[in-house]
Amino acid sequence: MISFLPSEEEQAFVEVASEFARTQLREAAREAEKSRMPSDGIVAKAHELGLISLELPESLAGSELPLVSQVQILEALSYGDLGIVQGLPGLCDSSSLIRVLPDPGRLELADGAAQRVPWLKLEAGEIAVVEEKGGFRLQGVTHPRRSVLGADQLLVSFFAPGGEAVLAWLNRTETEWRDEAGDVRLGLLAAHVGRAIFDATLVRQEDILARGAEAEALVREAETRVAVLEAAKCVGVMRASLEYTIEYTSQRKAFGQEIPKFQGVSFTVADMAIETEAARNLVWQAAHAVDARGAESVREAARALAYALRSARFVTNQGVQMLGGAGYLQEYPVEKWMRDAQAQCVLYGRETAWFERAGGRALGVAEKEGVLV
Amino acid sequence: MVHWFAEHEMRPISLLADREERVPDDWLAKVNRMGISLSMSNFGGDGGKKKEGEARKEPRERQTNRLGVIAAEELAWGDPAIALSLPGPGLGGPPVMSTGTPEQKERFLGIFTKDEPRWGAYALTEPGAGSDVSGIRTSAKKVDGGYVLNGHKVYITNGGRASWVVAFATVDPSLGRAGHRAFVVEKGTPGFTCTRVAHKMGLRASETAELVFEDCFVPIDNLLGGEAHYENRAGSSGFRVAMSTFDSTRPIVAAMAVGIARAAYEYTLDFVKKEYPRGQRVRSDVLAKLGEMDAKIHAARLLTWEAAWKADLGQPNAKEAAMCKAHAGRISLEVCSDCLEIMGPIGLDGHLVEKLYRDVKVFDIFEGTNQIQHLIVARRLYEPHGLRL
Repeated sequence: MISFLPSEEEQAFVEVASEFARTQLREAAREAEKSRMPSDGIVAKAHELGLISLELPESLAGSELPLVSQVQILEALSYGDLGIVQGLPGLCDSSSLIRVLPDPGRLELADGAAQRVPWLKLEAGEIAVVEEKGGFRLQGVTHPRRSVLGADQLLVSFFAPGGEAVLAWLNRTETEWRDEAGDVRLGLLAAHVGRAIFDATLVRQEDILARGAEAEALVREAETRVAVLEAAKCVGVMRASLEYTIEYTSQRKAFGQEIPKFQGVSFTVADMAIETEAARNLVWQAAHAVDARGAESVREAARALAYALRSARFVTNQGVQMLGGAGYLQEYPVEKWMRDAQAQCVLYGRETAWFERAGGRALGVAEKEGVLV
Repeated sequence: MVHWFAEHEMRPISLLADREERVPDDWLAKVNRMGISLSMSNFGGDGGKKKEGEARKEPRERQTNRLGVIAAEELAWGDPAIALSLPGPGLGGPPVMSTGTPEQKERFLGIFTKDEPRWGAYALTEPGAGSDVSGIRTSAKKVDGGYVLNGHKVYITNGGRASWVVAFATVDPSLGRAGHRAFVVEKGTPGFTCTRVAHKMGLRASETAELVFEDCFVPIDNLLGGEAHYENRAGSSGFRVAMSTFDSTRPIVAAMAVGIARAAYEYTLDFVKKEYPRGQRVRSDVLAKLGEMDAKIHAARLLTWEAAWKADLGQPNAKEAAMCKAHAGRISLEVCSDCLEIMGPIGLDGHLVEKLYRDVKVFDIFEGTNQIQHLIVARRLYEPHGLRL
């Protein structure tokens, strides 16, 4: 029967994450943004608490938690600071791809879960791919992606000239690429956002993890997991903005009374609460679905992420709006949450594209072509 | 089972009932014999037909509220106006169940049998008191053996054909909420008349009546909960009866809105599959709209289930009930509107979606407007901060 109760084990894990978020992440948020990375102390503590290997398989010393547990923990952490969460090692998208690999033990992670390994889905417009000696050469500069700066290993997925999907693992000790910080100022500044530069970079045959239908299936399943996990982080930042807004506005007076007594304020805050709760429920439902049925639940995952991205923009924007001029100042956290939420939307796909995907699934159209068959 | 009924018994007469602004009598009689009622989806689960002793047999964690919202969604998917017309105590059931004495429950709920369709109704709104329930002016003057009611009630679902109506009145307007009393007024009581059945934008097959009480004597036995119920409690007990009814019925109304939205969405999916040319790209904006509708419907459904789940746990659910009602009422209209947009002019002519669009608008109004739901949510959010809105 329908239930919205976490298990006791999940509750215990969430309490640890919440405490860490409240007492450390929230405090360290501005400093991490300034230095463009979480401090060593924060990383060490997150590692100690087991919070950065939630998705990784046990064979790689990860916790291999079900998604329904992870979404609660990630919401709790992102409530502290989404920027730091996106900058922590181990919580990269590649974890989900590693999780679904049939033999993850064959990967040589440079430093176990503490390593940042971005997963770059290379698009045709940004990187040119040519075949060479059973492998491929990559040429071009990627769009800004999370976790790229300073990464010593990369997971890349791309389409070969004939349209075949390829999934490969690149290691800096064997393969050359550069990264570039660029001029990123919007948000998620501690998330190592940058561009990868491939200059005739060779993907050797032995770097290829999967190709063809196998690679497509792995990417689809990992994408489904990533969508749910990233949606959960959106819920965390929404809740942060909502609660701060309630606290602030309950003290703020104008025209002789507390401003929530004006319905322009209280109704907006009610909408923020409704959107946050709606997004959280969708994330939980998607997590349950993906845990049960894997990539078959792409519709649920797409629905959850699209809704969460839209709601995150709405809620964090209204958080700034409700604080008025104060909301625009960096003395208050809401402006950062708004910037971070917007950057999250930019990095994790246009919500319209996710809605399209869910709609295509509902309609039964061919995924790539959008054609009724 | 409920979906089967909705698909095979309700949907086939949906457009006919809308055009004729009534549900056929023989259909209602047949359905009544089948034991189908919207009350099966009321909080309390069985529409009050349960015997007193059976309450002890309930499992520790009740599921009736969750089953109720699931059933309500399915019935509204079939047709919301027909669902509201199904025989049973309707919105009058929850206050009788929650506040009535054992004798009153037996007397008023015991009439809903399979031999003949009967209805109950709930009369709160007045021409001058809609969202502000505390402002009702229907008067209840204490006299020997009972009360005399005088006043006017509007927008009463099944009010004309109901065997009885739970009517709210005040013994003294200056007392505000503390003066409220709930009475069960039976059809045929002298001074109690149905003066008009309203013609509406949608839900046309559902009867919406105006009721008038003119020196209408109601015996003391019909005061819901009896005198002691109002004497033993601090102040606003009658008002609380009205409000607690809303906490119970709003998730049902929200679930019905979800059912309507889903009906429009599924109808439109089928339309696109059938009418759009094979082998050609479906426009990306159409795909995105369908995906967005899918997300909105699921979000509203989950909020509704959450409110029902809290009720099953016996936890206060006023905030969640208001959240689901506010959200479902709004998005269901958006979904129906987007469906019409996708169908284009074809949708205007003999298709279900235009009817659903007309039907669904009121789900953002009745059982508390969207604005009232926002007020309730905001009150609950600011309460812990010592702020009373």
